Amino acid sequence: CYIFQKGCGRKDCHHILNSSPSFDNWNVLIIVFTEMRDKLRKWREDNHRNSEQIVDVGEELINEHASKLGDDIWIIYEQVMIAALDCSRDDLAWTCLQELKRQFPGSQRVKRLAGMRLEALEKYEDASKQYDSILQDDPTNTAARKRKISILKAQGKSAEAIRELNEYLEQFVGDQEAWHELSELYINEHDYGKAAFCLEELMMTNPHNHLYCEQYAEVKYTQGGLENLELSRKYFAQALKLNNRNMRALFGLYMVSSHI
Amino acid sequence: MGEVELSCLAYVKMYLHACLFPRCSVNGLLLSSSPAGGAVCVTDCVPLLHTHLPLAPITQLALTQVDVWCAQTQQRIVGYYQANACVSDSSPTPCALKIADKIAEQCNNAVLLMIDGGKMSPDYRVPPIVMYERKDTRWTLKDKHTIMLRQWEETRDIASQLLDSGDHSLLVDFDSHLDDITRDWTNQKLNAKIAELASPANGNV
Repeated sequence: CYIFQKGCGRKDCHHILNSSPSFDNWNVLIIVFTEMRDKLRKWREDNHRNSEQIVDVGEELINEHASKLGDDIWIIYEQVMIAALDCSRDDLAWTCLQELKRQFPGSQRVKRLAGMRLEALEKYEDASKQYDSILQDDPTNTAARKRKISILKAQGKSAEAIRELNEYLEQFVGDQEAWHELSELYINEHDYGKAAFCLEELMMTNPHNHLYCEQYAEVKYTQGGLENLELSRKYFAQALKLNNRNMRALFGLYMVSSHI
Repeated sequence: MGEVELSCLAYVKMYLHACLFPRCSVNGLLLSSSPAGGAVCVTDCVPLLHTHLPLAPITQLALTQVDVWCAQTQQRIVGYYQANACVSDSSPTPCALKIADKIAEQCNNAVLLMIDGGKMSPDYRVPPIVMYERKDTRWTLKDKHTIMLRQWEETRDIASQLLDSGDHSLLVDFDSHLDDITRDWTNQKLNAKIAELASPANGNV
């Protein structure tokens, strides 16, 4: 491989040239670099949690192409750091964090990242203190509050997580992500009635989202009883109307219909 | 109760399933191609879900489809496995007990297997699994000495090899099948790969 190193064997290496250095090599180099940067941007925008890939591409970009990234580099450091925590790459996460600390001293956003690193190292008390200090300066910081709830979840304290999340939602009623998280917590506690309530909130604000309809239908089906099964059928059908390729909704509709 | 044998194929696929979705709870069914009676020989497994394990419709659907497939391929559903998202707690959840109960209705010496995430470090020496059997109406811990994994070291190495080479992404569970209906939840491709690695030609007995 000419661009990265000889015989790199990288799956997505787009090099074509094998001859001696020429102007063409630079063009290929730039094409590869922009592809990598665009990939990261797409994953960022779609909120993909493909952490191994992000670390792969991101680490390369940071190490080899930092100078070309301009101001993009900071958001990439953040993205790569979070992915690195997901993959137990504390070395990489630490490097990214240091760069961000240097560039944005005293930033709440960077403080939160430092907290996340402590979480990844299972230092939950220290992480919690970190978030508390953010909340002292800024009591409306939703990110810090949600991280505290994540800590409860990681420690298996579901009841407390549910309680805190409910309190949070009383203040921040429009937080979709939080409503969805709460519905998941309730499902795991087998509290289907409350899970259904959360999904109803989500369906109200996102009437075209077929996934919420389908999940609601699954919860209703699980609750059982004629009334719930009829609602279940209605919402499986609705999900299919919104997306006729939703297989879960299709099978669900079939199954619930055969029960009624 | 009786002895339980876990085949290389079943273990490797369960292990890879847990590795493929490290942030979710995963579950699946344990199958046997041996006739009923005597020791339980788990010869294969079908990975089922990695989302919303407690919800009924997809679980029921999967159980039905696997049942039909088993009838066609002379296999039986003999157990259930689950790996919890929360690594520190590997005890069976209520939904695990429910599904295991259902399986036990059809199969006398059904087993409930929990994968212990906390013991899945790169250099683990013993199988990171905990097995339960049904005594009266409760699921109780099975005596470790009645659980057999032949060629454990080779099995463990095969699992690591597939993980390192990225082949664990070949694994298809029922959830993935519903996301893309063309994907095969019986995992024929992966089965072939595992069989190849386990064959005597590779120096494994």
